[in-house]
Amino acid sequence: MADEKPTTDPPLIERWLAEQQQWQRTLLTYLDSMVKSDEFLVHVGNAMRGSLLAGKAYPMPPAPGTSAPETPADDKLDQILFAVRQLEGQIQDLRLTLDELKAAKKPKSAKMTEPAGGKDPR
Amino acid sequence: MTPAEPEPAPPPDQERELEALLALSQRGREKLERLHEVLTTPGHYGQGATPAAVVYRENKLRLLRLLDANGRPRSGPPVLFVPAPVSRYFIIDLLPGRSFAGHVGEAGFDVYIADFGTPTREDRFADLTYYVEGLVRRCVRTVLALTGAPQINLVGYCLGGTLSLLYTALYPETVRRLVLLTTTVDGDVEGGIPWVAHRLGLAGESYDEPRLVPAAEVKSWFEMLAPGSNSLVGRVNDLWDRLDDAPERLREVRTMASWVDDVVPAPGRLLAELYRKFGPGANGMMKRTAAVGDKRLDFAAVNMPVLSVSAEKDTIAPPAGVDAVQRIVPQAEVLRLPGGHVGIVAGRAATALWKRTVEFLGPGESA
Repeated sequence: MADEKPTTDPPLIERWLAEQQQWQRTLLTYLDSMVKSDEFLVHVGNAMRGSLLAGKAYPMPPAPGTSAPETPADDKLDQILFAVRQLEGQIQDLRLTLDELKAAKKPKSAKMTEPAGGKDPR
Repeated sequence: MTPAEPEPAPPPDQERELEALLALSQRGREKLERLHEVLTTPGHYGQGATPAAVVYRENKLRLLRLLDANGRPRSGPPVLFVPAPVSRYFIIDLLPGRSFAGHVGEAGFDVYIADFGTPTREDRFADLTYYVEGLVRRCVRTVLALTGAPQINLVGYCLGGTLSLLYTALYPETVRRLVLLTTTVDGDVEGGIPWVAHRLGLAGESYDEPRLVPAAEVKSWFEMLAPGSNSLVGRVNDLWDRLDDAPERLREVRTMASWVDDVVPAPGRLLAELYRKFGPGANGMMKRTAAVGDKRLDFAAVNMPVLSVSAEKDTIAPPAGVDAVQRIVPQAEVLRLPGGHVGIVAGRAATALWKRTVEFLGPGESA
């Protein structure tokens, strides 16, 4: 007597039960990653906003008042800080001009040495 | 009642419905599993792809010099990439094997990238003069000093193209060739970010009392211009659909999303000045009334070879507003490529732009 071929799919009810178990496993995997990594939580939060942005939270509006100076003194301080930034630039211009003058006096083959800045750690 | 009695099979219609629901459940679960895999696998996000050395720093700006495979700077003709200061620089150096700047470097050029960094509160006072006469000019001077070259090739992207064009009009003797990528010149052509405020009847940013425009707000302007991404539901639906893709493809999508969604705050004074001078109605480039600080711009001085590239489906820099550069710089070669604002620079078909740019820049080191 020839063996009967087993049916390819188990009954529907069994497949539903198996699927439920799979869902439990999937959810446990998520919970496990959430507990182990704060970064994963951020990434899940981004995904819930429709974004795959990695490494930081999806940009959200800041709390009111956080981008504007809180007092006139803060505003003045910001203006002073920015003026210092502008001065920093002017000093760099001066340095570049001096380098250009030095380079003009040297033979044409000599090039300015690379300023210290270090390799970009990528 | 007999306990061993088998349950009756559901009627055929009900069974079909349950089968369909089961398939739906499996598909949803598989998508979530794929999402988990993508979110927990390391990838290339939030930084440039090519090894680089920082050769100049000022405020938040870093000037990067790309290095070759042996970690050495190249000695070909210098090329400076100027990205938009309202987004991160690494879109032009996105992925190993998919980097515009890396491609230009491999063609024998000594490539530099201006990374404007992330402005903080005091930078809200930064204006066009600070960017053009300050940061861009000092980047160019640094490159010229480092290389000993008399001139530089400039490649500006989006608002970085605007800064490059304005710089070139002021210091044409230092620029050998100029490439403008999706750079709006005609502010009266409808579309793009200035038109968002204009259409909404908003006054725009204040020049005298500028704020640091939060990243979320800058992001919302871009979203208004990108159909499908301007609502939470739309974005979540897009992502859900994408989760059918293979994890490798999703990782690429994630790299791109990590640029698109990582906008930076913008200096309000710079935006106010750009809007007042070049926005709808003012249109200072086309009307030739533009100035940086007290220096009037003379576009006739931009007499070197210029390549301007627009994207057919660009909602941020509408192609007609980009191609208009020929009306102020008649020798400019205008190229319109299929694709969108970001896709032509870093998308899967971006090599068309990269190749054309290298051809335009001329022979590199090995030639």
